[in-house]
Amino acid sequence: MADFNVNLRGVGSVSVIDVKGYLDAHTAPELENMFSKLIVDKQFKVVVNFDQLNYISSAGLGVFMAFVEQMRDNKGDIKFSNMNDSVYNIFDLLGFPVLYEFYKDEKEAVNKFSNLG
Amino acid sequence: MKFNLQKIARSRKLEYSIFIFIVLFLYNIIFPMHDDLPLFIIHETLVLAASFILFEYLKDYFTSKIVQPIPLALNIGILAASIFLVASVSKYFLTPSNSNLETRDFISALFSVLAIFIIIGIVTFIFSSLRELFFLRQKKDPSVYMNTMLIFFLFTFFSNIFVKIDPDLDFIKQSFYVVSIILISLNSLRVSWIGFLPKKQKVYLILISLVLIVVFSFNFGEISGKEGFENVVSSFSPGLLTLINLIMLYGIIFSTVVFFTTLFHLPTAEAFDRKSEEVSSLIDLTKLITQVFDFKELAESITLLTSKICNSDASWLLIKKGDAFELQSVNNIGYLEADGLTKFILGQNYEMEEGVTIISRNSISPFVKNHSSQFNFDSIAFSCLMHHEDISGYLFAARNLEIKYDDDDKKAISAFANYAAVALENAKLIEESIEKERMEKELDVAREIQRKILPHNVPELDEYHFSALFIPAFEVGGDYYDFFKLDENNYAVVVADVSGKGISAAFIMAEVKGIFGSLSRIFSNPKELLVRVNDVLKDTLDRKTFVTSIYYVLNTLTGKLLLARSGHTPALLCSNGVIQRIQPPGIGLGLDYGSSFENSIKEMEISLNYNDILILYSDGIPESMNSNMEEFGYERLEKIVSNSCHLSANEISNKIMTELTTFSLDNSQHDDITLVILKRINNNN
Repeated sequence: MADFNVNLRGVGSVSVIDVKGYLDAHTAPELENMFSKLIVDKQFKVVVNFDQLNYISSAGLGVFMAFVEQMRDNKGDIKFSNMNDSVYNIFDLLGFPVLYEFYKDEKEAVNKFSNLG
Repeated sequence: MKFNLQKIARSRKLEYSIFIFIVLFLYNIIFPMHDDLPLFIIHETLVLAASFILFEYLKDYFTSKIVQPIPLALNIGILAASIFLVASVSKYFLTPSNSNLETRDFISALFSVLAIFIIIGIVTFIFSSLRELFFLRQKKDPSVYMNTMLIFFLFTFFSNIFVKIDPDLDFIKQSFYVVSIILISLNSLRVSWIGFLPKKQKVYLILISLVLIVVFSFNFGEISGKEGFENVVSSFSPGLLTLINLIMLYGIIFSTVVFFTTLFHLPTAEAFDRKSEEVSSLIDLTKLITQVFDFKELAESITLLTSKICNSDASWLLIKKGDAFELQSVNNIGYLEADGLTKFILGQNYEMEEGVTIISRNSISPFVKNHSSQFNFDSIAFSCLMHHEDISGYLFAARNLEIKYDDDDKKAISAFANYAAVALENAKLIEESIEKERMEKELDVAREIQRKILPHNVPELDEYHFSALFIPAFEVGGDYYDFFKLDENNYAVVVADVSGKGISAAFIMAEVKGIFGSLSRIFSNPKELLVRVNDVLKDTLDRKTFVTSIYYVLNTLTGKLLLARSGHTPALLCSNGVIQRIQPPGIGLGLDYGSSFENSIKEMEISLNYNDILILYSDGIPESMNSNMEEFGYERLEKIVSNSCHLSANEISNKIMTELTTFSLDNSQHDDITLVILKRINNNN
């Protein structure tokens, strides 16, 4: 069974989620729980750092779709950063860049939130 | 010779003993007086033979039965009493004129012989019964002690002959007699079976043994007394008298030993009863493990047995469901009471060891006060059910009595809890495997539906050859492809992939087919169609599910095709060995239901020349992995296609699949694989 790890840290008012390993139908609930918790805690500004993610399946992509609307309705967002090419290609093929913001660097993504106020 | 005798003796013991009894009877008729030594010896031998063979017959009779000590002791009592009766009756009728035996009339002689026969029968039966009690519950074979005793009985029996020869030789008989008594006393000590009797039967046995002592003593007195019946037997056979005497003595000694042993066992009887109840409850549980697979039924039986095993008034069982413990079954306590009490007790955070925790009434008194319920429990014991170092449940028992749970109870509950944990785990596993089997059958059905939904044939066109291939993964996926004939010259082709797997993906896939099937006849423009499909899907897809698709309409007259893509893997166009990825922009269906979707979709027009190949596929192909977790990838696919441009659509399809199978040989297929190939053929060549 492929490993998956999710870790939450706060950078100012922004929550950064580090995802690591393989995100598929079996490991997706772990990330879902993390998002649910953020919503309960009213943390709507989220950056997901993909630096250590090796693989993402369609079920993994679904997690972001499930929560993005709620974040945006509360003046927040889910932004992506530090994605390697193979993972980005999967997002790209599906058309995620049309709807989501992707950043090379986590700092850039976090700052984007701050600039908006 | 000896062997033959044994064989005869074994097969027809009853007939044989009856025969000897008849001979003995006739002998007595022919020789009413047998005072001569040879006649006497023959007579004594006949008496012994008759008794012995009857004894052998009874031995077999008892072996064929399962001996219960109490009925057997009762039988002995009744028989001993009947000896007394027979002796008294014959004494009354047969008071012989002791000096003048010749004057005895024939009828009286006949009667006395019959009475003696009855006595022989009864005494032999009593002795056989005593022998059975002797052998009862003996771990080692004690037959050597019994046989020694029998041999000394024999010696004593025949030593009467010496007395006959010379009354001074009486000491021989006396010494044999004494040894026999010693042996009787020793053998009477083998009464370990008493320990195994339940308390009730022990009380009963004390009474019976008292009666036995009295009856046997009376008989003994009757037979050794110098008048009455003693004379009748003695004149018939002095040896027989000695034998009866010994057996009556055996009866007295044995009954006395039984009486005292039972008396001393009585105080521990209850403890013993409880132990045996525990053992039988554990045996019941072991039976349950192997026989009851229904979890609920098993839980109820365990709860019931818990009360039995530790002599408790109520018991209840908690099972872990998810993260919480749920009350599974109760015995002799209300569900709500048990639930409340358990929550209270577990809320106290007792130090949970692997063992049994005992709680006194004082500890639960706040609960009793608060709930004003009618708790009579003075002591509550509970144990965790352990499974792989995790607590899988709790077993509770409670007593009304003012008797605290002792160490033995603790051990019993703990042992029982361990067994119960295994049994419940077992039942759970079986239930799960049945459930799994059911799920697999359902998956089979889903797979079957998926296959039926997909087209059975590809369109047969002159210039355009189609090839379609679908290989489902073990888990049902959400791949879908279809062909629609829009009109005489226009054909539509679609490949779609629902995100996720399993039955939910299969259901959505069926729906997607319906939507594409109906809308493709209304909207001939690929972009418009996808936008409409997205609109319809808005009401069906949940937020985290999306569908990728690629759709084109082919005009068979012009060879032009119009293609739109919504998040799907790009199509491959192979023209003269040159591969081109056809990837017009477009986001997946279900990602957005507003204008973003419509704005993102861009159509693409392609002119298909002769020998050109257009390949649609699902991500199952590029994402196939080998055992090193390397993906098959787009480049590999493109290389295969460019190298097989000259082949037919079907041949290319086979080629791709062969390569793909070789690549991922030692890894299982994770996703559905769909491959739809179109090749334009120039029939004029």
